[in-house]
Amino acid sequence: MKLRKYFALTRAGIIESLHFKLGMFVMVIGNLLYLILVYFLWRSIYASAGGGSVNGMTFTDTLIYLVLATALFNFMEMYTVWEIGRNIQSGKIVLDLLKPMSYRRYLFWSYSGGFVTQFFATFLPTFIAVTVLTHGAVPLGINLLWFALSVVLAVMINYSIDFIVGTICLFTESIWGINIMKQVIVLLLSGATIPLAFFPDSLRKIVDCLPFQSIYNAPLTILLQADPTPAEVLPTVAVQLLWAVGLTVVSSLFWKCSLRQITVNGG
Amino acid sequence: MDEIIRINHITKEFRVPDRHEGLRGSIRDLFSRSYHTVHAVDDISISIAQGEIVGYLGPNGAGKSTTIKMMAGVLEPTSGEILVNGCVPYKNRTRNAQNIGVVFGQRSQLWWALPLVESFRLLKDIYQITDAQYDEMLALYRSLVDIEPLLHKPVRQMSLGQRTLSDILAAFLHDPKIVFLDEPTIGLDVSMKAKIRTLIHELNRRKNTTVILTTHDMGDVDALCRRIVIIDKGKMLYDNDIEHLKKFFGAYRTLKLRVKGDLSEQAKRIAAELPECSVSANENWISVLVNEDKQKVISVLSQLQKSYDIRDMQLEEISSEDVIKRIYEGGVV
Repeated sequence: MKLRKYFALTRAGIIESLHFKLGMFVMVIGNLLYLILVYFLWRSIYASAGGGSVNGMTFTDTLIYLVLATALFNFMEMYTVWEIGRNIQSGKIVLDLLKPMSYRRYLFWSYSGGFVTQFFATFLPTFIAVTVLTHGAVPLGINLLWFALSVVLAVMINYSIDFIVGTICLFTESIWGINIMKQVIVLLLSGATIPLAFFPDSLRKIVDCLPFQSIYNAPLTILLQADPTPAEVLPTVAVQLLWAVGLTVVSSLFWKCSLRQITVNGG
Repeated sequence: MDEIIRINHITKEFRVPDRHEGLRGSIRDLFSRSYHTVHAVDDISISIAQGEIVGYLGPNGAGKSTTIKMMAGVLEPTSGEILVNGCVPYKNRTRNAQNIGVVFGQRSQLWWALPLVESFRLLKDIYQITDAQYDEMLALYRSLVDIEPLLHKPVRQMSLGQRTLSDILAAFLHDPKIVFLDEPTIGLDVSMKAKIRTLIHELNRRKNTTVILTTHDMGDVDALCRRIVIIDKGKMLYDNDIEHLKKFFGAYRTLKLRVKGDLSEQAKRIAAELPECSVSANENWISVLVNEDKQKVISVLSQLQKSYDIRDMQLEEISSEDVIKRIYEGGVV
């Protein structure tokens, strides 16, 4: 009964996103164009590097990594910051705050329907295509289960970061700059645009101490590992879990404190 | 009757940053940190009983929405205390939410792309309404309005009237103890307004729901509210029966005249002749508001008919609209 109200939101989200057929179509096309760009960019990088492997990754490795990262991005990006910002500016946030559940949960579950549709519309097709085209370069085994767990944690971390940034919008009342900055930082430092293996050592050390690499790098590394033993995977997952719990607490507290400051204009 | 809302001497202050004009001013604002305080709500006390419909009136920017947001728990008062259904709303916002329903005339809580019935199902799960309760409510709705054509229509395809109607139904769905209606009839046509008034009235009667209604349409007030509260500039001006208000202003009558010549020109002349009265004109009538304590209508009429060619006349009791206009414009209370 308790979970039912959340799943009801998921269900509505699925129905809602299925209504926008054209939007989904455009997303798939845009996704494809981006992948073509990535392909040619990295092909020329590898060509100029004299072929073979760069930083321990072959061209195929890099490409698989980046394609899956893009698919993962499409699936995980919830545009939470935009949504919070828009709701604040339009004043709709008042209505959301008056639902009998916390705003943080309400927003998350409202968008969870998007996860489901995006998973089937972009992630799964991309994953299957990559698996088929590379003739088994992606191992299919126990790693998939670990990957699933890792993605769940990644979603939690990603949402918490988004929610913190969204909360900042309460104070600035503007969205654009903050959101773009967040997107660039997250995508770069999480290894979604460039595999972390390409980072210089000193930068890599810093990145490892930040939560961002737990969003994309961690699940993708697990996915591309053939038959990992628990001992190999557990440290990565444990770090993710730590960040997930920590950031959830921080973002909830930050929101609670900030809400007292809220001044919803007009209406 | 049971008291459902108690407000004791609440105030709400906002700190608004001072803005300077022009490019230079904007640059200065980047560095300056001066604020001034706005008293949105200033020492208001109200007690509302279960099942009442209260008209909450005031000119734009009077602090109505701020008060409602405090009662709903979205804003915290600067001082004073509020109890809604026995608990402090801003401290128990999610619990309070279960007991209240809200309609803001200009925005919708419904899911834009979904048919109305999906929004209802969603609200049913969010508010954890039991199947029996939900079915009973829908049956009630069916008996009051023709909702069948609306149920399967996506909200974004609805007309404003249909959407407002749907929003009101959605706000009552979980059978809350209190419903706040913020300008529910804004922008609607006459027949839709009537429909919505009947609906609110019936829901209030059947479910004994307390309704707090803000509006600028005196038709709403006359049709629904026994009691009205008027505030302006954050201060309470009036809190009593609407009948009492009319009695209070009973000495006022409106004399409507049609005279020869251009009405607005003539109205200006009449205004100059009758400094005690307030005179206005539209394309059909010149209206003269007369305070009978000071000057009898008959004497005004006889004075006017000496110098004007009066074609037609009517005498009206003061409408609540006029009363409220006079209160807003300051003066009498």
